[in-house]
Amino acid sequence: MGTHKPFFLWRHLNKLRWLSLSIVFAMLVALPFIHVYQTYAAAHAYDLLAPSEKQLYDVMETLTAAFADDPAEDLDAIKGNTWSGSFFGLQLSDPLAVAGQMAAGLKAYAPFLLTALIPVLFTLVLGRFFCGWICPATFLYELNTNVSTWLARLGFKVGNRRFDRRLKYAVLGVGLALSAATGSVLMAAIYPPAIVGRELYYAIALGGFGAGAVFFVGTLLFDTLVARRGFCRYLCPGGALYALLGRYRLVRIRRIVESCNDCARCNAVCEFGLDPLRDHFGQECNNCAACIAVCPTQAMTFVLRPTDYPEQGPGHLGKQYRRNHPESAAKGGH
Amino acid sequence: MRRRGALQRLIRGAALLAAASLPYGMARLMVPEAKAQSRNHIRPPGALKDDAAFIAACIGCGLCGEVCPPRCIRFHGRDGGEKVNTPWINPEEKGCTLCNKCMEVCPTEALVETPLKEIDMGIAQIDRAACYPWVDRGICGACVSVCPLGDQAIGFEMWNQYRPIIKSGCVGCGLCVEVCPEPSLPIWVVDRMQGSVAKHSV
Repeated sequence: MGTHKPFFLWRHLNKLRWLSLSIVFAMLVALPFIHVYQTYAAAHAYDLLAPSEKQLYDVMETLTAAFADDPAEDLDAIKGNTWSGSFFGLQLSDPLAVAGQMAAGLKAYAPFLLTALIPVLFTLVLGRFFCGWICPATFLYELNTNVSTWLARLGFKVGNRRFDRRLKYAVLGVGLALSAATGSVLMAAIYPPAIVGRELYYAIALGGFGAGAVFFVGTLLFDTLVARRGFCRYLCPGGALYALLGRYRLVRIRRIVESCNDCARCNAVCEFGLDPLRDHFGQECNNCAACIAVCPTQAMTFVLRPTDYPEQGPGHLGKQYRRNHPESAAKGGH
Repeated sequence: MRRRGALQRLIRGAALLAAASLPYGMARLMVPEAKAQSRNHIRPPGALKDDAAFIAACIGCGLCGEVCPPRCIRFHGRDGGEKVNTPWINPEEKGCTLCNKCMEVCPTEALVETPLKEIDMGIAQIDRAACYPWVDRGICGACVSVCPLGDQAIGFEMWNQYRPIIKSGCVGCGLCVEVCPEPSLPIWVVDRMQGSVAKHSV
């Protein structure tokens, strides 16, 4: 069979994705420590610190000495979280933050609007990539999925219900309407990446979790006990906004029907419960490349086109196709 | 037949709306509104004066707190209600050093860059029945010596060189509250509308 093989690196993108997720999460843990260190440094108060604080000071000084001559100023280069942050002078915000803030105030503030420009442009090309590659909550949710799998193997009952995926668009719409009605950015309180970034800062630098930690644990329990990755699939308003923006994304995953053997591992591994086996990616796919990594016959690849391939039928290496096309077996291809 | 279909659709729509507003309801239930004392919950410098507008503008990203050198900016948690995740400063713990960093970093219009003299976080008030020099229990002057604005904001009373008085230049940063050694805190920050300033001084 004259089929083209996918570029060999695509199979390893999933590892790169985990590296990206880990770096983002590690930064969200490190930044509060860096800030505490900065406050000590700004106060020139080393001699007044308690022994444990001195320890923190020494560790952070060792870690950051290579990047900063004056920690109190130079370490301000990277601040914030994925909800809104400043990165070497560049202000970046989540599009949901901008949408929510516009709804709450019923007006647009141009400088803040512009901070979402780069994320929106990336989303238009790459689709819902934030959900798979950056979101600090995804890092915890995917680990939670693994834990659930282990629990299931040990004999615990793990929830795997399915709801209507369109519910999250309703959550987004209701959130915008309620924000406009109450005059506060309500999405900030239920959007997991915003919660994770914020609560890590509260817990490390301010000495205690805020209001969101309990809600986040609730979503973890929902994922374990009710529906796998349930919050992201059915409820997340940010995921809904990203999915809408990335509906006609250019970079898509595509099944190469000639080398597919219908093993359905892609469907099993898909965190968002999509159906790559039947070419149903749609706007929900976050280009996480887990299906590419897991495919035993290298039948998944990236393509550049604004819409999905129409259904291609059963894979040519699968039983069903060979039964219907006896000549393909006679040729002795596979 | 048609009518029953319409009713069914109505019920389904209502169920959808209820399910979609469930997360917001749960998040709101976790933050019951508690009446915060205004004297130890003041907004950071440059904050919009109308608190409703401030709540609408603030997205709760925590950037202002994360750049604050004295780490004086804290955030409303489970006591917040509508104000959840918005910043506040408790001058009794730590006052603002007026370094401008929070105003520069805020991505929204919640904190806008303001010249030092136009910052309006409130105005300090002194309880003359409790302040040490005012009741002739010693000499202090801690609040006067710590004030970053100096003479235009706080000074000594004309006839007794140790009794502090507040002047109209005070912006309410709260450093005087932080350093005040008197346990009952005879100095605190109030809204400028409620405050009063000394008419005569040195």
